[in-house]
Amino acid sequence: MSAIWAQGLTKHFDEVRAVDGIDLDIAPGTIFGFLGQNGSGKTTTIRMLTTLLRPTAGSARVDGLDIRDDARAVRRRIGVALQEAGLDDVQTGRELLTLQARLFGMGGSAGRQRVQELLGIVDLEDAADRAIGTYSGGMKRRLDLAAGLVHRPGILFLDEPTTGLDPISREAIWRYVTQLSTDDGITIFLTTQYLEEADRLAHDLAIIDEGRIISRGSPAEMKARIGTDVVTVQVPAADALDRAAEVAGDVSGVERVQIADGSAVVYVPDGARAVARIVLALDDAGIEVGDVAISRPSLDDVFLEATGHHLRVEEPQPAEGGAA
Amino acid sequence: MQSIATVYFLTLRSLREAVRNPAQEAGNVLIPLFFFAVTVGSIGSIAADAFGIDNFTGFQVPVAILAAASSISASAGLGTITDIQRGYFDKLLLTPAPRSAIVFGRIAADGVRTVAITAFIVGVGLIFGTGFDTGVPGLLVLLVGSFGFGMAYSGFNAAIALRTGSPQAAAAGGLLLFPLIFLSTAFAPKDVFADWLEVLATINPITYVLEAQRSLIIEGWNGLDILWGAAATLGFGAASFTLTFLALRWRTS
Repeated sequence: MSAIWAQGLTKHFDEVRAVDGIDLDIAPGTIFGFLGQNGSGKTTTIRMLTTLLRPTAGSARVDGLDIRDDARAVRRRIGVALQEAGLDDVQTGRELLTLQARLFGMGGSAGRQRVQELLGIVDLEDAADRAIGTYSGGMKRRLDLAAGLVHRPGILFLDEPTTGLDPISREAIWRYVTQLSTDDGITIFLTTQYLEEADRLAHDLAIIDEGRIISRGSPAEMKARIGTDVVTVQVPAADALDRAAEVAGDVSGVERVQIADGSAVVYVPDGARAVARIVLALDDAGIEVGDVAISRPSLDDVFLEATGHHLRVEEPQPAEGGAA
Repeated sequence: MQSIATVYFLTLRSLREAVRNPAQEAGNVLIPLFFFAVTVGSIGSIAADAFGIDNFTGFQVPVAILAAASSISASAGLGTITDIQRGYFDKLLLTPAPRSAIVFGRIAADGVRTVAITAFIVGVGLIFGTGFDTGVPGLLVLLVGSFGFGMAYSGFNAAIALRTGSPQAAAAGGLLLFPLIFLSTAFAPKDVFADWLEVLATINPITYVLEAQRSLIIEGWNGLDILWGAAATLGFGAASFTLTFLALRWRTS
């Protein structure tokens, strides 16, 4: 049985098709990455799968339960940490986790023990009895993650868990997420706008753009599908870009060329040998060349190939005290 | 059973929030007491001749109680909006707790806060010589009634908060009660009103809530007044809780 399954899942907000008929089939125990830029439909998808939003059309099952008909049972089996750490600044960390445990029916000593255990796991024992309002951004994310784990869910939804965090806090969250998957066998549905995060954590990945899944597979499979090296040639004169793409496309061995962010992105096997031919051809055509880079295909190249544009990462304003 | 437990836990959480925000609670009680003092100070001395009311200070105590209830529910509306804006409301919705119980936790806390402030205002009234004609049993009835009215009025602000998510709308929600107070027998009995105002005061549920409370404080036991007050509170609650359920359904659909 799939941990998460969806068919034709759709959400419209008036005229806007936020999620436009996506299909999912996620195996138990895997980390599923859902990669896309802001506004692509990641959060709306997660809000439907976690029963916070009713789909406009389509169906979905989480741990075998229908998200419409068995919404409360779904909520018992999932843990969720949304993009904005949903916390109450007036409570202490311990009070928040204790309340969360009680709402999941875990009262008494079992609840207290679980809270203490989680505070240890996310390294918040020392801050447990301080008001959450005094926590840094990284501490809030860790507490939010702990709140999602109070009732030992089999499936965990994480909506951009590291957006806006500094590298040390990000690394800590990655460590917890990997641990949850490998040690506890939890299925993790993780949305992200960070290529590195998707590449590093996800066993299985889907790229979403404008509400539709445009590529699916493991990060390695996706990159292998490109099948070539990527030569990125920056062209300083914007009006010469189309001509540069045309000239580069005519170079022997070049499979295809895309234009993105002031550069011609050339897909060619054995890029190290081809780069000289490409630069010479551009020079012969009188096109000025800026920086040139050769790389193995990255998820950014996968994204570019599928969407025609690079993934744009939007960082929020750093939160006060954003350190771990 | 799960609903009751949810309401209980979330009521405790809201009360803890209130205790940790004493400035807000002070505002909830001081502003009504200020108006109480000004009203009694300005027309208290002529009330006996003008309206036939000997104990005008006691006559005004229920007005201060209702104004405090209004202030409390406005601050609770803001609390709900803060939860929505911070994403904590979503976190509560993501638990298996019944969603209506999640909203009623804060509403019940407003009832408890109204009881506490009612007791305080009655205490202030006693210091100023209002007396309490029905004694301790009457005080208990008044506190129960205040609990009911606090919850009933809080429902309107919960509905506004859930439907709009706007702090400005929530703050304005607290003011909704003031026109109803002015169109009731808050400052004088109905028999001195102009005809049009008498009609409005007669159909205004706040009139019955005030008169039930007054009967307990300055008139002695009057079963009919208490029944009318209870009916008005129940009607108020039925209307406000219906709006709360509709707003909750809208927010979670």
